[in-house]
Amino acid sequence: MSALRRTGQALLAPALAVVIALVISAAVMAAIGVDPARAFSVMVDFGDTPSQQVTAIVVVLNRAVPLFLAGLAVAVAFRMGLFNIGVEGQYRMATVVAAGVGASVSLPGPLHVLLIIVVAMGVAAIWAGIVGVLKVTRGVSEVISSIMLNFIALGLASFLLTGPLRGSEPGASIVTTTEIPESGWFPSLNGLLGALGLANPPRQLYGFLLVAVVVGVAVAVLLKRTRFGFDLRATGLSASAASASGVDAKRMVITTMLISGAVAGLIGLPDLLGSDHSYGTQFTSGLGFLGIAIALLGRNSPLGIAVAAVLFAFLDRASVPLQIASIPSSVVTIIQGTIVLAVVIANEIARRIARRQAESGSAVAPPAAGDGSSPEPGSTPPTGPALTNATGSAGRTEPTGSAQ
Amino acid sequence: MKLAALAIAGSLALAACASDEPAGGSGGSGGSGGGEDGPKIGLAYDTGGRGDKSFNDSAYAGVEAAIETNGGTVQEISPNSDASDRADLLTQLADQGFNPVIAVGFAYGDVIGDVAQQYPDTSFAIVDSSGVDVADNVTGLLFAANEGSFLGGVAAATKSETGNVGFVGGVETPLIQAFEAGFVAGAQAVNPDITVQVQYISPAGDFSGFNDPARGQIVAQGMFDGGADIVYAAAGGSGIGVFQAAAASGKRAIGVDSDQYETVGDPALQAVIMTSVLKRVDNAVEAYIGTFVDGSVEGGTDVVSDLSTEGVGLSYSGGFIDDIKSTIDEYTQKIVDGDITVPETPSN
Amino acid sequence: MTESAPLAVELRGITKRFPGVVANKDIELRVARGEVHAIVGENGAGKSTLMKTLYGMHRPDEGQILLGGREVVFKSPADAIAAGVGMVHQHFMLADNLTVLENVVLGAEKLHGIGGDARRRIVEISDAYALGLEPDTLVEDLGVGDRQRVEIAKVLYRGATTLILDEPTAVLVPQEVDELFGNLAELKREGLTVIFISHKLDEVRKVADAITVIRRGTTVGTADPRTTTAKQLAEMMVGAELPTPETRTSTVRETPVLQLRGVTVAGPGTRPAVDDVTLTVREGEVVGIAGVEGNGQAELVDAVMGLRPLAAGTIVLGADDITSWTTRTRRERGIGFIPEDRHRQGMLLDAPLWENRVLGHQTEAPNAKGLFIDRKAARADTERIMREYDVRAPGPDTLAVALSGGNQQKLIVGREMSAGPRLLIAAHPTRGVDVGAQSVIWELLKDARAEGMGIVLISADLDELIGLSDTLQVMLRGSVVATLDPQAVTPEQLGGYMTGAVTSPAGSVQ
Repeated sequence: MSALRRTGQALLAPALAVVIALVISAAVMAAIGVDPARAFSVMVDFGDTPSQQVTAIVVVLNRAVPLFLAGLAVAVAFRMGLFNIGVEGQYRMATVVAAGVGASVSLPGPLHVLLIIVVAMGVAAIWAGIVGVLKVTRGVSEVISSIMLNFIALGLASFLLTGPLRGSEPGASIVTTTEIPESGWFPSLNGLLGALGLANPPRQLYGFLLVAVVVGVAVAVLLKRTRFGFDLRATGLSASAASASGVDAKRMVITTMLISGAVAGLIGLPDLLGSDHSYGTQFTSGLGFLGIAIALLGRNSPLGIAVAAVLFAFLDRASVPLQIASIPSSVVTIIQGTIVLAVVIANEIARRIARRQAESGSAVAPPAAGDGSSPEPGSTPPTGPALTNATGSAGRTEPTGSAQ
Repeated sequence: MKLAALAIAGSLALAACASDEPAGGSGGSGGSGGGEDGPKIGLAYDTGGRGDKSFNDSAYAGVEAAIETNGGTVQEISPNSDASDRADLLTQLADQGFNPVIAVGFAYGDVIGDVAQQYPDTSFAIVDSSGVDVADNVTGLLFAANEGSFLGGVAAATKSETGNVGFVGGVETPLIQAFEAGFVAGAQAVNPDITVQVQYISPAGDFSGFNDPARGQIVAQGMFDGGADIVYAAAGGSGIGVFQAAAASGKRAIGVDSDQYETVGDPALQAVIMTSVLKRVDNAVEAYIGTFVDGSVEGGTDVVSDLSTEGVGLSYSGGFIDDIKSTIDEYTQKIVDGDITVPETPSN
Repeated sequence: MTESAPLAVELRGITKRFPGVVANKDIELRVARGEVHAIVGENGAGKSTLMKTLYGMHRPDEGQILLGGREVVFKSPADAIAAGVGMVHQHFMLADNLTVLENVVLGAEKLHGIGGDARRRIVEISDAYALGLEPDTLVEDLGVGDRQRVEIAKVLYRGATTLILDEPTAVLVPQEVDELFGNLAELKREGLTVIFISHKLDEVRKVADAITVIRRGTTVGTADPRTTTAKQLAEMMVGAELPTPETRTSTVRETPVLQLRGVTVAGPGTRPAVDDVTLTVREGEVVGIAGVEGNGQAELVDAVMGLRPLAAGTIVLGADDITSWTTRTRRERGIGFIPEDRHRQGMLLDAPLWENRVLGHQTEAPNAKGLFIDRKAARADTERIMREYDVRAPGPDTLAVALSGGNQQKLIVGREMSAGPRLLIAAHPTRGVDVGAQSVIWELLKDARAEGMGIVLISADLDELIGLSDTLQVMLRGSVVATLDPQAVTPEQLGGYMTGAVTSPAGSVQ
């Protein structure tokens, strides 16, 4: 029962943040002379015909899949207090190499796809593993090294693309790798849509959606149910307590980076296997950075990240109809930005309230059956300077004023 | 609660939609004397969108001119931040009944085919990418950028006092490499011993190089420090950094695509823009819309703008290269006549 | 207390509610100017809440605060400071890499600038109250007592006339406590008012002019320290008899559980943090490690737990050389660990109790099932621990942060005992816990000892050390400098060994 209440509380903060963000965005829109009601109505308008509506849903889902994977990759590291900014470089490296390998072999369908997936995960894991090894052996901050490795990855991916893996004809304005043969494509889920009685849209719903769901569940189980996940989360909550409990911090850093990287390796695959079939200069970039926002928004929980990814994808899709309705598409950017900001703030406030409730609840008598009302949210926490964890992610702060 | 928000927005949607008839004719169509009978033009920009003082603006100018002549309306649209929704832009424009749909930038090259096949009754055009073998209703609007850049190289080599010039490319893509090839060839045609420093801001696949003036400035500064006195900025929005470096070093620069002497908007920078290698996207777009209106548009083909059609060339604003106009014209004629073949890819 | 002069601090009917609980109810407090007034009460009795109210960290729901007879309303600590109320926190808030001067001035630059005026003012304060501060010493080079004096100087620098000291003696050894009391006497002599929070009744009786006792959130009475015994005070506090740490007959057996041979741990400088320590813990034996904090005890514990590499020496558990074992293996093979700082090493504050029950025993039944955590069994076992070890909390899903220090510690002790270790490393097992929890923990340690567990006890509470240990080892600068018989040594003598003042083997057993 208390678990239910906690879940409710956990969801309340981001939900409230989204509402606040919408209100702020509406105010901004009104200030720049855009009618917010019309903007919101355009955003939720998926079209008139069933085909248009299903297409819109497919567009949102197709966008959400890579965003979800990116958020997941970031969150895995976040949960143990590592800030993997290198997801960007990891997936770019993974995708170019996987595209190259996928194009160079010919295997029966499922095996071919599997090979590409394994290669992508492996490459990204190795790339992320470098960060872990540097941190463990040389004490290099993962933030610094993963940013630096991003640059190297971009350059290296570019070299591979324009050099050994180049498949496009010389002079073509878009350089791509050789196209992966059809056996290495991931079948779309449009058949499934048909089976559900929905219109068959012109767009292909990425079959990789299923892989993303499986990975999401796997990560959720790994974090919540396994010994390894416990060690990982314990390290994130308190590195010192975790090592005192027997967690090998160094091995943990490397393993976590490997897992985070392996998930990052999947980010490019929905596009690669579902529509592009080759890696090229136009391959979607920046997903690794968006993943940070998604992870933040989803509070590093797989389910939350899924919701956040769909929300972002929904907002992204809206930018086109908004422009057609002569509303600046920057409205979408404003909403996305304010949502992330509002969620970060709401998380921090919720955490402080929860902590204050907890602390004061124990001050006299144990049965702290709080009536749900919160004590003055604006007031200062017990002792000032301890709370500065801007990411609000791992929620690691030193105890404020030990319970006296 | 998200549902609640959606519900509220949704209830307003009906009312709003009722009053919000076809969305065309807005988005800054310039109010040009179109009308409801002319074409409903869909214009999908490259990253950067309107206001880049270069490529995208030039395309818009072409559309505006076409509306002036033929009437009609334009709907502009820009991709999202990572440009992952390019296909969606084109689909939505076609779906909303815009025709023709013009995609600005080669980046649309890998998605336009699929979309065009889904909307066979809509005419598509793509700037800087080929329409051949893509779809029957796609026309490529290509530019012999290497030829224009050749003239830029001629001007640079003629004007250089140090025998050392530079080329700053935005992103190391085949398109920009064609600029490089032409520039180097032109410079060497005038002075075989000339030193041409070549550098790109970002590697292929990283498009930040088109929009990073700070790095543009660093790269160009390096070239000026290395002895160059004229640097050609084929780097989109990063070019401004090259101009700043030139101004700081008391050296000169060459602009690209549009007449940047006119568009840069800063007298201090105007003074260093010796000339610009023009790429008349506006002319090509205007001409394309003309053929669409008179029904002569041909899909599955390319329209190449080169020196012979004056689709590329040099600008003379500011009068910095008026004195060498005869030299320029001489090389122009040689290229048009086929006496000089300008390479499309860098030799090394 | 004379009735003519207005009281320095008077609280009337202070009530502070948090959702679901009343932390303070009808508190009455009367503190005369120029007195040292002690507030005593168990942990969780509401002392901290009350002091936070007085220091402006939150506002009372009911009641009045009067300073010098005038009612005041504090919206923030800044208001309190402006009104002359200052607080010295239990946990120091000093920047180690700054000097004394810089630490004192930090945040109060407007008062006397940061230059000569500030320095003069600090020297003045230091001289006036005999604080003995050197403005240019780096704080990191200072001992605990000096750091506390810097904290006091900070408060005085800001013009405080009423000082709140929150558990000031918790971190000090006896000699330092005496120095502190000397400082308090100076403050009193200069007419300042001191409110002194403590649950160490002997100290309170020694230093205070008046005592107010708080129990379950409300004032239960005042006492005159000259006429009240510690026992009476304790009864006012808890309504129960004061527990004693004394152990009964010796249960020491022959078989060694833990043998340290020449254990050396590298320190930050050239001097090793632990220098060639050799000692043996037998079954059923409590080996107490005494020493002023920072003399290598923490590093020694880390070394035994495998958290710090050895520079030299071997560690033998039972018959196994465990020197190269990982922390996890050591724990799995029978070392229990009650860490010195439970918030840092013993608990995940933001995690529920059942996860804290799993912590440190991730691989053991009933917490683990193969590679998975058995959440259900862990929850059930947490409930058992809560029952058996009297951990007062709503349930296994409560966040650890919601528990009082004593309950947190009981959970840790219960968790470690549940694994049935051969050896228990207990570092400051009763630090910061209330009297009730303290006696429970002492009993648990005694029972474990009787059952043959070997225990290494590190403590700053000399009564606890002397009372519980079978053998005492005194550490000074990383080395064991004396081995003493707890039956034959007084806290004062022990303190002498700890500070290096005494080196002759009075009361030594070897």
